[in-house]
Order: sequence, then structure tokens, then C-alpha cells
Amino acid sequence: MNLKAILAIALCKLLRLLSRLLGRGGTAMPGRWALKLCPDLLARLSKNVKTVVITGTNGKTTSARIVEQAFREQGLSYLANRSGANLLSGVTTEFVMNCTLGGKMKKEYAVIECDEAATVKVFPQLRPQVVIVTNLFRDQLDRFGEVTHTLGNIRTALESVPEATICLNADCSLCSSLALSLPNRAVYFGLEQGAVPSRAKAALSDATHCIRCKTEYEYDYVSYGHLGGFRCPKCGYARHAADYAVTELIEQRSSGSTVAVSIRGEKQIAEINLPALYNVYNAIGALAASVEMGVEKEKALHALAVFKGGFGRMEAFQLGRADVRMMLIKNPAGCNQVIDYLEGLRNRFVLVICLNDRGADGTDVSWIWDAEFERLNSIAGRIEKIIVSGDRAQDMRVRLKYAGIPDASITVEHDYEKIVSSLETLETDICLMPTYTATLELREVMVRHCGGKQFWEG
Amino acid sequence: MELKICHLYPDVLNLYGDGGNIVCMQKRLLWRGVGAEVTRLGIGSAASLAGYDLVFIGGGQDFEQQVLLADLHRGRADEIRAAANDGVVFLTICGGYQMLGHYYETFDGKRCDFIGLLDLVTVGAKQRMIGNYKFRCTESAGGSTVVGFENHSGRTMLGSSLEPLGTVLSGYGNNGEDKTEGAHWKNVFGTYSHGPMLPKNPEFCDLLLRTALERKYGSSSLEPLDDAAEKTAHDEMCGKL
Repeated sequence: MNLKAILAIALCKLLRLLSRLLGRGGTAMPGRWALKLCPDLLARLSKNVKTVVITGTNGKTTSARIVEQAFREQGLSYLANRSGANLLSGVTTEFVMNCTLGGKMKKEYAVIECDEAATVKVFPQLRPQVVIVTNLFRDQLDRFGEVTHTLGNIRTALESVPEATICLNADCSLCSSLALSLPNRAVYFGLEQGAVPSRAKAALSDATHCIRCKTEYEYDYVSYGHLGGFRCPKCGYARHAADYAVTELIEQRSSGSTVAVSIRGEKQIAEINLPALYNVYNAIGALAASVEMGVEKEKALHALAVFKGGFGRMEAFQLGRADVRMMLIKNPAGCNQVIDYLEGLRNRFVLVICLNDRGADGTDVSWIWDAEFERLNSIAGRIEKIIVSGDRAQDMRVRLKYAGIPDASITVEHDYEKIVSSLETLETDICLMPTYTATLELREVMVRHCGGKQFWEG
Repeated sequence: MELKICHLYPDVLNLYGDGGNIVCMQKRLLWRGVGAEVTRLGIGSAASLAGYDLVFIGGGQDFEQQVLLADLHRGRADEIRAAANDGVVFLTICGGYQMLGHYYETFDGKRCDFIGLLDLVTVGAKQRMIGNYKFRCTESAGGSTVVGFENHSGRTMLGSSLEPLGTVLSGYGNNGEDKTEGAHWKNVFGTYSHGPMLPKNPEFCDLLLRTALERKYGSSSLEPLDDAAEKTAHDEMCGKL
């Protein structure tokens, strides 16, 4: 380490200490200043650390939690950016907090979730062993631009690390196209035909036409959104067979799923400790990456059964006598998956939707019109009450009105404290659907009422 | 009474919650006892565009816009021109709006020829124009204040004889310079207010519906609706801008 790097490390640690003394997270800011002093600090620190990076639109945090659990099962010493600070600054902060003042790393492995747009800056420094690309959906178009632009970012990032193994979602025509132009070793994960009942092709798809020749895809089956058994009738680009495959969804419960998986042809049964189909995808992708990193299969499988999700990701709370699930929503694909989950619930529940439009949420709330809130009508009998909140509560209220939910039955309440207090005496279940920044605020109130950790404690 | 609504190219021009506009028109007709039949005409469809009272064209991604051009030139462009000249009501947004002009020229000089229905051209800029914005419609376009979200790198310049849809009160509009927003010719309305612009601007939505009903049935009176939710959302955003 040269003098600049040593100074940057000291500065970063000091700023973090000060942040914590002020009661803040200090997850990104210290790294930002350290990088000003030593722009290649992350490259210097991560040189001998074996790293898994998780990127993609949805499922980054949950996938990272599963890989972490697999590493724990295997007894590996690792660091992880658990706080959600997933830009170059946040990743750098995390590495600094796990090194000595002299710049010697205390951990051998790292599990890093990385923002799609940040991959271009992060990958060349971090040089990961394994990269998971979970999926690509339309997301925060005001920030990321078009979905093909995001794909281009990830491709550029991967071009800088040809030695990395890439774990691609076989069912996502956008993700798996990365292997067409990159020299990297690719392994694929996905859901086999028949694993779940095929859906009708989504009215709204983010990938209707072949990425290579622009002919409309044909589908053998659709699992959700544009994910499924796609093939181009013209140029032959088609879903690649999955090395890590879910072959059957044996049982879906409100608390988790049981699935049959095939690991390079070897059949196994796996329990997944979080409900909903999108977590089945997260599980199989994380399983693939864990095994590729050298975790034994049995340990990686056990990790699926016992991992704990990240904050707000189907996170369970107990409020008085009520079972609460907090389910982060941030784009149509993820939101539709949460609505799927709501459809599967048997108990009556109160629904709270918190819509913010701050930088980290995406300032454009148009996406709520692409999410299928109309489907709430078919389960209206089980919805005790709907509360809308957040900076753009009124937009959410209008959305629900046009989805067919009577305006008179929707309550607008901006004060989270009031909302949570009013729910405390309920006996029905509670489903919270906040956007990203609303998750942070609402979670703080929930933690005050139910106990739990601060966001940076993971 | 019934209006036939065509959602043109919903398979590729469907960015940013565009479908919300269709839902909005449909519901506001149904709530008043007027029928609304929505047909989706995608890329490659051989069905005719004739016979519709209202045509909606949304915004798209650049990748998909190339697929679109081929389809337009297979005859759809002629149908759009014929319908517009015949007084059919068009709501076109962002990419769909640009498409009605002469051409789109990318930042590095590549030109894409469009259908030339409206006397306007669009040139790509380096800086995207992104954010919540508001504009006041011209008197001939109803005079209401519209709040929306714009996200475009294309700068659109109107020919001297083409009326804008309105005047920018806050934000960029057509090009960020001349304070014009959108375009209005006959019953064709073009705007950069992408995605679900109608639900939060019920007055503007009703203008489109009334125009289409008048054309079809000679006269029309739209019963007032309880727009408390829509107006609150509209006013709240207006107040922030």
C-alpha cells in the first residue's frame, strides 16, 4: 500500500466512525471521500479477495443473503455490503471496514451486490470470480434509461473481467444474451418447462423481440414477465439449457416453497425460506453461484432452507397479534410478483402501499400503471382495508381507483407512526408494500414497535 | 353510444405505464354509460386502422423503434395519415408523437424518416430532459393545465404553421427552449407527457372523449364525474412544480 492508500483507508474509517457517532449509517459517504484520495483503492484492497457479485434488476439483495448463508455453512470468512450501499462508494467502504489500517484484508471472500449502472466502475476494480445476473426488467427508467442500455452497461463491465464465471438467468432472453458476445465461462440457472404452470404471455413484456435479429420470440412456456422458454424462430437464439434448474415447484406456502432442483443433472429437494416465485429464481441463481464458488452442494442447499432475507424483502414482523410481511416494490415485474403472493394468501389482511418518488425510488411513478393492481379485485373479499401512503400517495389512490377499487374504501395516511399504531390492535394479517425509501422509513417505525435491527446492521 | 379505441403498437410502444391512458379513457366512458371497445393492433397485424374513433400511440425504447419503422412503411403510415385527415382523435406520446413528424435525427447525425403527418422534426440531444413538468393547453386544446412526467433526449421543433399543444409552465416541453409543448393539428394531439398522463388530467381526457363523441354523433355532453381523487393528485403535483 502506498501512502495515498493508507491515508484514504484512515480517512474512510474515521468518517465511518463519525457517521456512527451521529447515529447514521455511513455506508457510502466514507468510501466516496476515500476514492477521491485514492481512486484505485478498491482494486488494491480486493486483489486477493475471492468475490461473488450479484447484479440485475430484481433479487440482488435476497440472492446475496443466500450466498452469504452458503458461505457461512461452508465456514468461509467473508465480507458483504449488507446495507444496500451498492455503488462503487458503498462497496469501497465495506472493504475498508474489513481491512487493517495498513490495508491488509481480514476476510478471504466477499459477497457484493452491485447496482446495474455501477457495474462499469466496480467490476474492473473488484475483479469478481463469479457474477450473477439475476434478471433484467424495466426499472427506474428515469435513472437507468432503457433496459437494453442497462444490459449494455453490464456487458461493458463484464468485458473488463473475462476471467469471471457468469451465472445467467437462462429464462431471461436479455441476461442470457450476454454469453453471445462475451468470452467468459457461462453457467445457466432457471425454471424448467413444467416446473410451474405456464402463464399466458404477459400483455406487457420487456423483451418481445429477438435481441439479435429483432424477430418476435416464440415461447414454449412463460414463468412470469418475459421469463420462460423463449426462442427466436428466425435466427435460432433460444433459451440455453439450465445447469442449475428448478424442475418442480412442489409446494408454495405463505412462508416459503419446496422445490425439486437439478444440479448438473443430479436431482435434489430444496426448501426455500422465503415465499413467492421470484424467490425461487433468487434461490436457484444463488445456489449456482455458491457452488461455482466452491461451496459443497449439500451446504449450498441447506443455505436455502435457513437463510434470512434482507430488510423489507418479504421480511416478517410480529405486530401485536398480527403477522406482518414487508415486501419492497420498485418496478412492475417485482410488484406483480408481490401481487401473485397476495393472491395466494388464505387469511384476511390489511394492505398498506407506500409510494415515494425520491432518487433511489425513481422519480417517475408511472410504473405503477404497468403493475397489475387490477388483480386485487379478485381477492377483494380478503382485503380488510387498503391504506395508501408516501410522497405520491395520491397517485397510488388514483391508480387503485382506475383498477376498480372503490375510492371510498381507500384511506390516505401520510404518517407512518399513525398507520402502525392503528394496525397494532388488529388480528388480521398485514401486508406492507413500500418503495425503496419508504421501506427505510416505514421499517424504522416497525422496528420501534416490534423490535429488530437498524438497516446497516443487516 | 360507443367509442372504438385503438391502442396502436402496444407490443413495442408501451413504455412507462402508457396503458394507463387506455384504462382511463375506457373507465371514464363506462362510468357515463358510454361503451368503449379497445383493440390492440401490434406489429405485423394485418387488421385495418379504419373505423376507429380514437387512436392511442405510446412511447417506446430505441431498440424497438427500429422494428416499428418497417411496419409503418408496410402501409400503416398511410392509414394513420388517412385517419388523421378524417378527423379521428389521436393521442400520441413521446416516441409515438415524434413518429408523426418528418424525421428523427440522432445525436451523431443518423436520420430516421418518419411519416410526415405533422410539420415537426426531432433531433437527439446529449442531455436527456427528465422530470415532472406542467403546461397549459392552448384555448383550442381546452385550456386546461396538465401535469406529467417527461423523459426524452429528442428535441422537437414545430414548423411555423403547426400549433403547439400548450405552453410550458415548468420543465422542458418540446425542446427546453421555446416553451412550446406538444403539437395539436385537427384532432391529433401529441405530447411528451409520457405514461399515464390522462388519469391525473381528467379535464384533458374528457376533451379527447368529447371530441371523439362529437365527431361520431354530432353532439355530446359528458356527465360530470366525481374527480376528487384525480383532482387532488393533479393539484398536489401542480403545487410542487
